[in-house]
Amino acid sequence: MTATEIRVGGLGGQGVILCASILGKCASIFAGRHATLIQAFGPEARGSACSAQVMISDDPIGYPYVKHPDILVLMSQDAYKQFVPQLKPGGLLLYENELVTLDDRLPAGARTCGIPATRFAEELGRRLVLNIVMTGFFGGTTDLLPLQALEEAVRSTVPKGTEELNLRALRRGYDFGREQQPEATHGPR
Amino acid sequence: MGLGELPLHTSLRSGTPIVLSLLGEAGREGLTQFYSHLPEPDRMVLKDDVTTQGWADRFLQKVGTGEVLSILAWEGPLVIAEGSLYRSLHGWMRHVGEIRVTIAPARRRQGLGLTLTGLLVRIATDFGIEKLVVQTMESQAGTRQTVEKLGFHTEAILPRHVTDLGGHKRDLILMSSDVSQIWASMEAMMQDYHPHSGG
Repeated sequence: MTATEIRVGGLGGQGVILCASILGKCASIFAGRHATLIQAFGPEARGSACSAQVMISDDPIGYPYVKHPDILVLMSQDAYKQFVPQLKPGGLLLYENELVTLDDRLPAGARTCGIPATRFAEELGRRLVLNIVMTGFFGGTTDLLPLQALEEAVRSTVPKGTEELNLRALRRGYDFGREQQPEATHGPR
Repeated sequence: MGLGELPLHTSLRSGTPIVLSLLGEAGREGLTQFYSHLPEPDRMVLKDDVTTQGWADRFLQKVGTGEVLSILAWEGPLVIAEGSLYRSLHGWMRHVGEIRVTIAPARRRQGLGLTLTGLLVRIATDFGIEKLVVQTMESQAGTRQTVEKLGFHTEAILPRHVTDLGGHKRDLILMSSDVSQIWASMEAMMQDYHPHSGG
């Protein structure tokens, strides 16, 4: 069984759950694979830590909890502090590099790849699409999910009228991820 | 469909192929010819006198500063329509944009107004504009029907606010669309949850 364990973390209001949800939806509905999503429940709280666990596999998934992720997608320093020690040896850390600073918590052998996703989102016209930039970045760096399937997942998820900007955000992150790949390519693909 | 897809190859309802492209310096001649051939009744409803010398320079200057985004519809070598998004780059109305669309008389009722206006609405939302307005004279029922299809509604009627060619005072109808609602629903999707359980 080739399961990939993923954790997405950040602040409430950054669209952490939406990012994770799109990854899972992409895998299970548009890429013919299996996926599970566990989101952190609780009172809605902007600005506080927030996370979701996603598992993607070619086979049905019996145990959906992520203990030691293969891939961490982090959008805040608090999430980094909380989750980076759990990263699997040799795992891949994808992070918003203007919001997250790497330090000695990073496990030895971990591979890292950063993106100024918030800045890209602002350049596209809306800071709100930061999470979609990160979703595209995930696609571009990991090769785990086809771009076309990611586009379908975004298109079918975001509100009508916002598709175009969201798709551009996805593509921006994806393309940036492809450019970064040479430095961070020895991972769990 | 949006700014990233321009130039866009599409067609009129009749099947005639057209190209929508951003106005730049290369489009100056086509733009000038288009407006110079526009009948006087159509020019009357424009805010600027497009026949004056230097108008194209002033317009292109606004395009250059970003105050105006203009799209030309080309049928072969001829411009058959022009659509503009006006926006304030600073100040208290920087969240508001105004759309103006002009179509050659022979190319009306072929879906071009809807296509151009819809494209400008999407570009405006990409720019972060939250409210769009379109000004029409009471006689421009077709224009109002077109923009109503895109979610615009009558926000205000200014009685006897404009003068037609015959010298008669007519009502100005201000149509608007609160496009921020589109993104409000996206923002609602972004509300996340606290991690303590399930984390």
